Parts: sequence; C-alpha cells; structure tokens
Amino acid sequence: MSTLRLRGDLPERVDLLNITPLALSGLSEAEAGKLAIGTSRRGLTLGEVFAISLDGSDSLVIEGGSSRLDRVGAALSQGTIRVEGDVGQRLGEGMAAGTLTVTGSAGPYAATGATGGTITIGGDAGDHAGGAVYAAKAGLDGATLVIEGRAGDHLGDRMRRGMILAGSAGAYAGSRMIAGTIVVSGALGDHPGYGMRRGTLIAASHGALLPTFVETGTPDLVYVRLLAQTLKRLGAAQAGLLGGTLRRYSGDLATLGKGELFVAA
Amino acid sequence: MAAWVKGGAASLDAAVEAAADLLAKARVPVLAGLNADVGAVRAAYRLAETLGASLDPVSGRSLYAELGALSAGGAMTTTRAETTARADVVLVLGNRPWDGDLVGEIAAAPLSRGGAAGAERVLLSLGGPQNGAIRHVAYAAEAGGLPVALGHLRAFAKGHLAGEAAFADLAKRLFAAQYGVVIYDAEEVGELGVEMLQGLIRDLNESTRFFTLPLADPFQGRATVQLSAWTTGQAPRVGFGRHQPEHDPWRFDSARQIAAGEADAALWLAALPAPRPDWLGRLPTVAVVGEGSTEAAGETAEVVITVGVPGESVGGALWNQRRGVIAYVDAKVPTEAARAVDVLARIRDRLIEKGVSC
Repeated sequence: MSTLRLRGDLPERVDLLNITPLALSGLSEAEAGKLAIGTSRRGLTLGEVFAISLDGSDSLVIEGGSSRLDRVGAALSQGTIRVEGDVGQRLGEGMAAGTLTVTGSAGPYAATGATGGTITIGGDAGDHAGGAVYAAKAGLDGATLVIEGRAGDHLGDRMRRGMILAGSAGAYAGSRMIAGTIVVSGALGDHPGYGMRRGTLIAASHGALLPTFVETGTPDLVYVRLLAQTLKRLGAAQAGLLGGTLRRYSGDLATLGKGELFVAA
Repeated sequence: MAAWVKGGAASLDAAVEAAADLLAKARVPVLAGLNADVGAVRAAYRLAETLGASLDPVSGRSLYAELGALSAGGAMTTTRAETTARADVVLVLGNRPWDGDLVGEIAAAPLSRGGAAGAERVLLSLGGPQNGAIRHVAYAAEAGGLPVALGHLRAFAKGHLAGEAAFADLAKRLFAAQYGVVIYDAEEVGELGVEMLQGLIRDLNESTRFFTLPLADPFQGRATVQLSAWTTGQAPRVGFGRHQPEHDPWRFDSARQIAAGEADAALWLAALPAPRPDWLGRLPTVAVVGEGSTEAAGETAEVVITVGVPGESVGGALWNQRRGVIAYVDAKVPTEAARAVDVLARIRDRLIEKGVSC
C-alpha cells in the first residue's frame, strides 16, 4: 500500500489528476515527488505537499485531507484510493473503474463524468455531486456514488447513467437528469427532478414538488424489489426505504416526462 | 488623475510601482470587476497572463446563467430591432426587462416587417411587476419563481398538461404567433430557467417562429465574453496560474476565492461604475476606478488609481445593448485623465521589469 501523507495546510488548491496507483507504480519516490500538482503561479510539487511512500501496489492511501485537494482519483482506471479526510472539487472526475473512498466531506462536482467504479464519501458532498460541469453533456455516467451524509443542491444534475445513494439532498435533486437512479434515505429539498427526462428518484420525503410531476399511484413494482436486493448487497441504508409502500410521481412533464419520483407513502 | 498608496496621495509612477509590488508578492492574485472599455479589459487579460492571475467579471453570475445553458443546448436569439419591427407576440419574463425603456419602446412601435406587419402586437408578461402604464396581458408566476413557471408553461405547450389553467391560455397565445419573442434577464431567470426557456422555444418552433431576446448585463459582460473568447478561447473566468488559460467557473469565482482565503491579492477594475465588492478594503488590493466614483478615495484600497470613465471623460469601445455589438464611444467631456488601458499596461511592464512572469 502506497501512502501520501499531507505535510500541512495547503497554500493553494492542488490538482491530483493522474495521481493514481497506476501512474505512481512506475515511479521512484524521488520521481513522484517532482510531479507538479500546484495550480498557482508559484506551483507545488507532490513532494512538497506530501510525504511519499510508494510500494508499487494498486492501493493508495492519502493520509490527511483538505478542501483544496481537487480531482482526487480523477481518471482512476484500476486499484483503490482512500483519503482520510476531506477533498475539494471534482472527486473522481471521469473515473472509469476502481474504488475511491473519502472518509471526510467532498467539494462540488464529485463523480462528475465518472463512467465506472465506486466512489464513497463518508461525510457530506457539495453541490452538483454526480452533476455535470460547465459545458459537459452529462454528470455521473455509469459509476456508483455513495454519499453517507448530506448532498448539496443539484444532486445528479444531468446524470446519464449509474447510481447515487445519499443520506439527504438539497434543492433540485435530479435536475436535467437523462437517466440513472438516485436513492436518498432521508429528505430531498425543493423541486426535485426539475427538467428530468428519464431516470428514477427515490426518497423518504421531499420539499416543494413541481407542478409538472403528477401522482400515478402506489404501484408494487418488481423493479423496486430488484433494486432493494442490489442495495442490500451494497450494504446501503437506503435499502430499507424500498421495503415499504412508495407513492409514484411521473415527470418532468415539461420535458420528456419519462422520469419518476418515488416517495415513502 | 489621482492616486493613493496606503491612503496617502501619490504620483501615478509611485502608484504603479506600489501596485506592481503588491501584485508581485501574491501567490494567487485575482483580477476582478473588469467593468471597463474593451482596451482596458484586454490589458487586464494580458496582465493576468503575465502575473499568473485569474479573472472574474462583476457580471459573472449573469453571464454564466446564460453561458451554462448556451454551452449545453444552444440558444435561439434575435435582436432588439427585429423584435420591435416584426414580433407580433412578445412575452416579457420577470421584473428586470421592465426597468429600462425596451418594453415601452416595443409597445409603442408599429409592426412594420413580416407577415404580421400592420397588425396589433400582443404583449404578454409572466411574473412581471404588473406595470399598468403599458397595455399587456399579465400572468403571475407561481411559488418557486420563474424557472418553475417556465417548466409549467412548457408542459402545457407540449400538451403534457391540459385544462383551463392560465398557462394553457398563455401557451395558446404563444403558438398563435407568427414571429414571437421572449424577453428575459438571464440572472433573474437562472441557468435552469434559461435552459427550460430555450427548450420551450424549440417546442414553439415546431409549428411557428419563436426567439429569445436576452438582456445584456449592465457591466460590459457581453464584451468581456467576446474578448475572453478571442483572447483565451474560453469564457471569462479563466486562470493563468499554470501558464495557459484554464477555464473553471467555480474555481475562478472571485467572491468564492476570496471568501475561502485562497486569493491573497486583487486588482479591482471598475473604470465604469460597478457594485462595490464586500472584500474591498479587507484584501490587499489595487483599485483602478473611474474618476469621480465613490471608490475614488484613498481608503478604498491599498493602492487606488483613478482613470477616465469610458464614454464620459475618455473614449473607448463599449458594449452597445441596443445594437448588440461592441462599438466605440467618444468622450462626452474629454479630460486629461489617465486611461485604464495605459495604467494596466504600465503595471504589467513594471512587473516584467521586475522579472515577474508566469
């Protein structure tokens, strides 16, 4: 297991794109220490920010966190990264496979464009978790994102495929959703599913509901039972929500209208 | 020209020297405001490139409400002149379009072009201030504001909702247009609302012609978008910390950078009047402000340099909202005031002389 131990507070945001077990496996500690990760005019190297210990394995632990650690695990394609602390924006951006775990909280745009693998955030996630960045066609795009705490606004904005699990979420969850599944064990904020085309939102409760979502009853769907089994295998707290009766709403009728919102009845 | 360094009156040379010293010491400098003529904003981008700074116009929130939707799905837009001459149905969204003379001018003008020439124009409003002075049919926005109302209206326009609701009636009126236009302010409607509106416009264009007329922000943002595009290939919020222009609307939001303690120095460019940021006076700042403005005082910032106001005391290329272009404006009352473009170029030259280069 390779480790990067944070030396102290960061004087600027740092960009950990391509700091993955695979990328570090062919480097000596001295070579890795020279990798540029700073974003300011002064710049910083990996060795200035972290005490580096590499063993060539496919497992990397970042000891210590900061809200200025951007793009942790971005483009990860194999192996595991575990961060013991917080991270900044775009956690796991474009990640294709592997396991990414953060024990603290994440900044905005966690898992944006991630096509595979599992991303777990032990604390809270900022706005646009699983959401699309500027000019991107899609947010989460096939990966699994687990947020054990609260997600901010615009959870899963323009999400295309994959699954998001969260404890609770802010306003406009599932906005502009193209497809995929979001299950929130607690409450959603106001206006969930704004502009969603397809996809599934499931929550215990919600804030103000859009006038473009219409109730379609309390169906007993095989899909929900299958989803519950999948969630149980993941050990997710959200599985319990699916055991009870769910009221279904269809929307957003302002767009394609093939999305659905399930709420505990 | 007047200048101050740490509250004391100074010559321009001394102020430029102090400004260069302040910026040279910074790790993460930001150039904010950017409310000035095109030449000065271009000089700001060049200064940022030399300094490795990021840029953020005061109109950023408004610009990105528009750009976010535009970059994702495009936009169908028209001009003020076409709207006035050709639009037989005009829908005014929200409150801000009523602030200027635009709506009154459209209401008073006859339809002179297109198939509806000579007919009476239908003026509609959604979520407006119920302006009684201009004859129009008003529809109230519901709780949740304009984005929710636009979605609700679009559901009726698509035929996904039906009934005797007010929005069913409004949708019928929109489809009856030969050449319809929706006037809105992007910041008021928000990115989600703008995208929903452009979707509604696409739906209306299945059977008629319909466009949008987005209002320009009042702080030269449209000119900055164009300048940033031809200078960096990106939208305005770019940073040069890594020797090339990186676009990141979240990372280079100057208010966020300063609130998070990331930025350690700033240059505030407001040759034209701009809302004073709350961080002015708290962060080591060079303020390049218009002469006669409330910020033209020694206590505004560590270094303050007054410059001519484009279109008032000096000439300059500015955004012309009526024509939707950048156009040169002569000084109304020319003075010997320093020009912002020259002040910024001198600061940049001094930084280069000091060996500061990103």
